Order: sequence, then C-alpha cells, then structure tokens
Amino acid sequence: MAAMLAPGRARAARLRADLRYLRPPGALPEDEFLSRCIRCGQCGESCPNRCIKFFGFTNGLASLDSPYIIPRDKGCILCMKCGDVCPTGAIQPIPRAAEAILARVKMGRARVDESLCLSFQGKTCGVCYRACPLPDIAISVGHLEQPHVTDQCVGCGLCERSCIQMPQAIRIVPDHG
Amino acid sequence: MPADPGTRHPGPFFLWRHLNKLRWMTLSTVVAMLVLLPALHVYQTYVAAHAYDLLSPSERRLYDVMEGLTAPFVDDPAEALDAIKGTTWSGSFWGLKLSDPLAALSQTAAGRGVHGPLLLTALIPLVFTLLLGRFFCGWLCPATFFYELNSNLAAWLGWAGLKLGDRRLDRRIKYGVLGLGLALSAATGSVLMAAVYPPAVIGREIYYAVAAGGFGAGTVYFLATLAFDLLVARRGFCRYLCPGGALYALLGRARLVRIRRLVARCNDCAKCNAVCEFGLDPMGDRFGADCTNCAACIAICPTDAMTFVLRPTDVPDQGPGHRGRRHRGEYEIAPKPIAEGKAAA
Repeated sequence: MAAMLAPGRARAARLRADLRYLRPPGALPEDEFLSRCIRCGQCGESCPNRCIKFFGFTNGLASLDSPYIIPRDKGCILCMKCGDVCPTGAIQPIPRAAEAILARVKMGRARVDESLCLSFQGKTCGVCYRACPLPDIAISVGHLEQPHVTDQCVGCGLCERSCIQMPQAIRIVPDHG
Repeated sequence: MPADPGTRHPGPFFLWRHLNKLRWMTLSTVVAMLVLLPALHVYQTYVAAHAYDLLSPSERRLYDVMEGLTAPFVDDPAEALDAIKGTTWSGSFWGLKLSDPLAALSQTAAGRGVHGPLLLTALIPLVFTLLLGRFFCGWLCPATFFYELNSNLAAWLGWAGLKLGDRRLDRRIKYGVLGLGLALSAATGSVLMAAVYPPAVIGREIYYAVAAGGFGAGTVYFLATLAFDLLVARRGFCRYLCPGGALYALLGRARLVRIRRLVARCNDCAKCNAVCEFGLDPMGDRFGADCTNCAACIAICPTDAMTFVLRPTDVPDQGPGHRGRRHRGEYEIAPKPIAEGKAAA
C-alpha cells in the first residue's frame, strides 16, 4: 500500500540523481521512520544549520511533510538537536559525543569518484577531509590528500557540501535502513 | 405588574462574561506564536552563523526585530531560544513535550503499535479534554482563529445581501473522517492525518512560509476548507468534518465543565443560538458533545442567563425562559425554534 501511494519515489530516484536525500541523523529505518514521524516539524525548527527541509509531494504521498537533507545544498553538522526535540523517537535522541554518533548515526556513507576527484588527478585538494567532522576516523587521506572513506563514515554530507568539483567527486550514498 | 423573576436569581460569576475576550486573546497569541517561533528559529541560525555582515537587508530586518524582542530576556539566543519549539500539533516547552491526542492516536494507527513516549506527551492534553471537552477547538486551535474570522466575513457578506451556504449536515460525518484517517494511516504506515487536520497543517505551513521558503500544498488545502465554510456550511469543517473535533467530542462526552442556561433569567431571545459557531441550541439546553466551552453565548446573553457548571451531563430541557413572553403566556404560539436542523436530529 505504501508503495502504491509512493509511486513517485522509485521512479524519481531513478530519473533524478538530485532526489538522493538523507533522513536526519538518528532516524529510524525508512518504513519505521514514516510510521513514527507525526510531521510536527520540530526537527527543522531546531536545526541550527537549517539543513533539514520538508518534502512536498515529490517523494510520494507517504513522505509528505517528512524531513530530509540534501547534502549538496547543506550538510548535517551533527549537533543532534533534532533527535532531542523529536517527540516520537522517529529521530532517536543521541548524545553529541563522537562515540555515540559513530555507534548510532548512519545517514549514509560517502563514496569517492576517483575519476572526478582532483587529488586523485595529482592536484592536491583535501577539502573534503578538512570539512569532515570525524577526520581520520571517517576519512583518511593519502600523500596527495586523496580521500579514503572508512566504514566509520556516518554520512553527514559536509564533504559533499564542500567538494569543489561539479559534479562533486565525493557523494553520500544514503542509507535508509 | 409582577416583579421580574429574573432579578431574584443570581447570574453568572461576572468574569465569565469576559471569557470570550480572553479566548480571542488566547487564539491570537497562539497564531502570533506560530509566526514568531519560526522567525526566532531563523534568527537563531543567523546568530549561530556569526554572519550579520553577510545578511541581506530583509534578513537584517528580521535579525534586528528578533534581537529587539528577545535581547532583554536571553543572553545566548542560540541555546536559550530552544526553550519553546513546535506547534499545537506537538511542541516542547522548557523540556516538557506536549502533543495533540490525535497525533498520538494517528501514530498508534500508523505504527500499528503503541509507542509509549509519544502517548505520554499527549497525557496532559487528554486530561484537559476529558474535563473540558472540545476546549481545544474553541480556545487553542490556530485554525479556529481563521475560521471564526471567516464566519464574520460570511456574516458581513450576508448583510451585504450575498447569499452564502448555511447547510446543516450530519455531525456524525466527522467520526467517519476520523475512522477513515486512522484506517488510511494504518494502511499506508504513514501519519496521513497530519495532512488533513487543519491545526497541524497551519502550524507547518506558517513555518514553511517564514523559515523554509514559502507556503506548501497544505495552504491550498486550508484555503479550500475556508471556502467550504464560506460557501457550504458556516464553520462546516469543524462541525462536520474535523477528525480532531471528532476525537475530542468522543472524549469530552462526559466533560465536567459545561455551560448551562439559567432558565429563570432567560428571555428566549435566541442570541445564544445565533452566535454559536457550532450551530448548537443553548436556548433549548442542547449543548451536546460539540460544545467547545467557548463562552460566546455567555458573552452575548443580554440577561446573563448563561453560566458554567460542574456536572457530567447537560441539564434536561428546562422549557421557555422565565423572562420570556412565552413563559408569561403573552404568546399564543410558541416561537419558532432555532434548533439544530432535521438532518442532525
């Protein structure tokens, strides 16, 4: 039934790469998230970075008014305020500490396109590494600042936001659980 | 000439005649807060960014206004202004989270299981609803603010000679809407109720307009409900269709705080029936589950014959008012009742 009401989601994702979206940090797996979220909008209202936006009909009726993040527009700074304010636990409350965030946040994972990345072409860049809130944990760099993403990456999207290439060489592959 | 019987009987506590004004102040405050909170949120993000120099003139104006409003009270806007967030659908006040009982019920349906923490946030509103019935509809609902203004508009248009719809529909339709909303929420696994419940829609739409770039589809929906009220039935959405109203009417069936008519003071003028937004029949002692305790009938009553009482049921029909000409036998024929239409009977 949910698939019936959200025919747009699969199709739109196939046709438009820019509909690649993340859920806020600590969000439950997609189906559980949608059934838990009451669309109160408090996550967006507490986001100091204003990276949380809200769906219209573009992602299907089931996603109407639910929060999302497009990392190329604005990445998540992992302040974890949205989880604190969420009344339903659709976004889990997670303390703002590296250990807790590494253990429980999984918005997605960054992936480097080496054919686009300047550092892999011999032009040392390293912008993504410097934008990463978990440097040397989520991203390590080689001698020419070539980024190597580890399994620890939580998918906040700050690297994608900061990537100076267009199309961007580092992107978040969303993990919707 | 016999003494006027009404004068021997005490009227309501004098403040209750002014409750309607307090109610309008409350409704205005709720709407003002819904505009103010997103603006404060945007201001917080500007403060956190330390980038006043980079703001555009309109952004600076918002910054300056919000700073002027809050600077006397808070030292650190980025943190202190987090104290109040949200809307009437769900909000947090200094760490106390409150949710609409309909939000909790819809989420329970969508999740097909009970989620305790959310139910707890609906507990305080639930207790108030059990005591006061549909008080939310009359006193707090941000949609009510617009719907009542819309009713006034309809009245002005009526005086101007424009015939607008005032149909009476079946009040039980809204229970069907509630059931349908819950069933759809359960079938889709998504809280769809939030998309059709006007106060939730308004809270979100105002947020979108102030902080997220512009109005969304919900605004179109809300305007459609306003048009329905204007063209089909006065205050029709709240009376006949609102799923939240349906839930509160069910919960408030045995509410303790009620309005009753003091028959000894009543002169059967029927102003209470005319002013009642919900089309109830205060003059006939028929308040029922839909009364919001809004106190408009108390405010308008020229003989102070309406008052609040603590009792779990309406008083049975008390007959014509003792100050009325019908009671004194000056009427051969009983005045035409302005009771609820046949459809609802």
